[in-house]
Amino acid sequence: MKSVKTSKVFANIALMIFCLLYLFPIYLILTNSFKSRSEMYENMVALPSKLSLKYYESALGKMNFAISIKNSLILTLVSIAILVILCSMTAWMFVRSKNKLSGALFGILVATMLIPFQTIMMPLMQEMNWIGNHVGVKMTDTIPGLVFMYIGFGAGMGVFLYHGFISSIPVSLEEAAIIDGCNTWRVFWKIVFPMLKPTTMTVIILDVIWIWNDYLLPSLTLKAKANRTIPISTAKFFGQYTISWNEAMAALVVTIIPVAIFYLACQKYIIKGVAAGAVKG
Amino acid sequence: MKIRKGWYALFTFPLMFIFFVVVIIPFAIGIGFSFVEWDGLAKHAMSFVGFDNYLRVFTDARFLQSAGRTTVYTLISVVFVNVVGLIFALIVTTKLKTANIARTMLFVPYLIGGLILGYIWKSVFSEFFLSIDWGNWLTDKTKAMIAMIVVTTWQMAGYVMIVYITGIMAIPDDVLEAANVDGASFLRTLFSVKFPLLMPSFTICLFLTLSNCFKVYDVNIALTGAGPNYQSEMFSLNIYNEIFDLSNFGYGQAKAIIFFLIIAVITMIQVSITKKREVAM
Amino acid sequence: MKKRTIALIIAMTMAFGCITGCGNTAPASQPTENKAEVSETKTPEAAPEESSDDFGKLVIFQSKTEIMDKLNKCAEDFTDETGIEVEVWETSGDKYFTDLKTDLSTEAGPTLFSLAPGSESVEMADYLEDVSDLSFIDKVSAGMVDEVNGKKVGIPYTLEGFGLVYNADLVDVSTINSTDALVSFLEKAKADGINGLGFSQEDYFLIMHVLNTPFAIQDDPDDYLSKVLSGDVRMIDNDAFKEFGKFMEAVRANCKNPADITYDNNCGDFATGKTAMIHQGNWCYSMFADYDVNFNMGITALPLLGNNKVAVSVPAAWYINTDADEASKKSAKKFLEWLYTSETGKNYLMAEFGFVPVVEGMTSESLDPISASVADVAAKGDTIPWSMANWPAGISTSLAPIVMQFYVSDMTGEELVNQLNDAFVSANK
Repeated sequence: MKSVKTSKVFANIALMIFCLLYLFPIYLILTNSFKSRSEMYENMVALPSKLSLKYYESALGKMNFAISIKNSLILTLVSIAILVILCSMTAWMFVRSKNKLSGALFGILVATMLIPFQTIMMPLMQEMNWIGNHVGVKMTDTIPGLVFMYIGFGAGMGVFLYHGFISSIPVSLEEAAIIDGCNTWRVFWKIVFPMLKPTTMTVIILDVIWIWNDYLLPSLTLKAKANRTIPISTAKFFGQYTISWNEAMAALVVTIIPVAIFYLACQKYIIKGVAAGAVKG
Repeated sequence: MKIRKGWYALFTFPLMFIFFVVVIIPFAIGIGFSFVEWDGLAKHAMSFVGFDNYLRVFTDARFLQSAGRTTVYTLISVVFVNVVGLIFALIVTTKLKTANIARTMLFVPYLIGGLILGYIWKSVFSEFFLSIDWGNWLTDKTKAMIAMIVVTTWQMAGYVMIVYITGIMAIPDDVLEAANVDGASFLRTLFSVKFPLLMPSFTICLFLTLSNCFKVYDVNIALTGAGPNYQSEMFSLNIYNEIFDLSNFGYGQAKAIIFFLIIAVITMIQVSITKKREVAM
Repeated sequence: MKKRTIALIIAMTMAFGCITGCGNTAPASQPTENKAEVSETKTPEAAPEESSDDFGKLVIFQSKTEIMDKLNKCAEDFTDETGIEVEVWETSGDKYFTDLKTDLSTEAGPTLFSLAPGSESVEMADYLEDVSDLSFIDKVSAGMVDEVNGKKVGIPYTLEGFGLVYNADLVDVSTINSTDALVSFLEKAKADGINGLGFSQEDYFLIMHVLNTPFAIQDDPDDYLSKVLSGDVRMIDNDAFKEFGKFMEAVRANCKNPADITYDNNCGDFATGKTAMIHQGNWCYSMFADYDVNFNMGITALPLLGNNKVAVSVPAAWYINTDADEASKKSAKKFLEWLYTSETGKNYLMAEFGFVPVVEGMTSESLDPISASVADVAAKGDTIPWSMANWPAGISTSLAPIVMQFYVSDMTGEELVNQLNDAFVSANK
């Protein structure tokens, strides 16, 4: 008995040590957000001589933190809400009506997950500007326009994940509901969508991290100071020749915290959801 | 289940419309551009060159090398990411007390955006390594490649781990108990029972890691900047440099289309292989 | 319980979505949608004296990241004084030129932007507005207004000079007046345990600036350059380049490998006395602020063929987008007028941005020691030009790898020069 216990204690300790070492770069990020440039130059890994928050102050100031985080939040939350709704609807429809059109569209959606962004970067910008000039809807330099683009880019992954999950749900429940008199809309929202929780959580987590941290697309479309998102504001510290490490790291710490909190909050949902699903077998 | 066309359209049209505008149209425009020679500036002339751009690819040593390099990098990274991710998932789904904390810690790398992650690791591999006399890894082409693989694994293992966790937790307990009763050892259970049931997870993870590694850009440009001497330039960076540094817009687009086709073929092969081995429950 | 929370989250985001959606209507409406803090004091409709019909919104997009914060304030002051709305776009250094080209190409470009005079401005010639009607155009120091295709298009920012920035305690530059003298100094420095001359790994600092000297000291730099590009002459046959090859070999033998040094660390090494000289320019002075510098420093020339002139030129200039609408272009011109002739504007240029005066009648009290040296020699005309501004665009990406390779192999100085030469010729195709 005792040997099992000690080996478990040992295993726990070993695991924790491994995890701490694994997160060595995080240690670098944290310590260097408190150091002055010459301190960092002297020794990259030493602990800071004093824990002054001055780099946090200056970083947040230069980032126009309040505006940046507001923009990032709106962009991320709205995009994801719409993505979750539309992707689940579309995937369900594809799975339930197994016709050639569904198969083809699904295939195209998935295939486009493979397109590297650089390929369509320029044509996309030209198209967006064309729409702005000729159709009268300003797509560039606006958050709604960017939301529109993120929905387009997130469609492939979202539908892919939902499709896989929905395929494993038996149709019987839905058919029962139809017999009971529900129309298609109610069947989906009352029966199917609640069952999709684990996948919804997965989609949300992956998309939140993607959109929150995305730099390239917003940097191309958003210009006005009032529209900047956090990654764009953070890029300020990465100059052409020199990196203002202390401010950059402070900015990074501040950027990760919301996502980390969000992830911690969602973790429980995933585990509960998956466990519930597993019990059902 | 019979669904009327009206519902079908309602459920799928919104997403498909946005997707079409944001992804398909620019892609088509991009294909159009691949047949011209242009430097990207609207006022400068564009000349139609037919398939010249495509043929040029075969004589472009730098592109071919970067293609080969990307393939090698992808294959190795996919293996590492999935092996490490799976090991993490197995560890974290045991009943150790620290399992939950470990799970969170191991996921943290994924929360950090690609560009910044690259910069941080860049200073680890160059300045930090120099200070401990391991030498600057980024000036040696093999070590730079290893650096890319390490960073990619570090970033993506946590993400893959989550998918595997979901898969592992979905394995019904009765199956595992049956194996236990039959006297199967840990490894036997692992390979003969768990793996086949994890096939759907494998399909998803392999697909996602394959496509992500092929498309790698952020980490490439931040970590190695294609150095030394373009010896670590991957596909996406090569295309990006072609379009922007060398101002060969049409040629860059042609390369991008080819790039896409290669990824599409490889991932389709992968998916069909692993789909065949999926065991339905 | 879970269902309700999710519904709540979705409801909240819908609400957010509505708020933002309603806030941003179609572009047919006026520029009021732009919430730039700049227009806090005066909204465009309520503009006083000047009717805002005459002056459109001015969008500035430029490349110097060091001045961004102050430029924002400067723009605010300008709006306070004139009521013209200004929007300043941010950039992160490296991608500037790429971003600019993308913006100009999609008809959504900025009104006022910066370029490096030379191959960059030539490439963008079709987008540049003629600025010869600016009132102070004739007062700009000789030869500094950028002219492309016969049009005056660029107003210089400042002057920059580069060469050997030295630590007066570690080196007596009066003795460094030839390549041989420099080489012996490097050897001595190595024996003494300090880095004689520090380069860093970034393209420009690694090779572009260094290679500028042999080109710039030719009798007719432009003519020589075109002969090299067309393949009519080979660099290796030229004395300046022969010495360059020798010099590079000496650096490799006696100094730290530049590929291992970042700009940050190079400045740090210099500021802490570990490096006697760095091949840098007056812009690097701000990097020393974080260190306790306790020695005198100055800037001197790279003495190939006995050269004693620092390379000085206009690193960037203001250009106006010729595709912008007339009203915006008027605003851009007014801004430049204000910047270079009004007291507030000039104060920004000199005191806040720390620029070297380029217009007659402008003086600066706030130049750091290196910038002051540069301004001095520029005023005397005792300088060599930036030949590199005319090299084929993007060539740094071809030259840098060759040099990196040089530092880790036993390539001879001659082979180095020949390989660099080949890069020039193929970049010209």
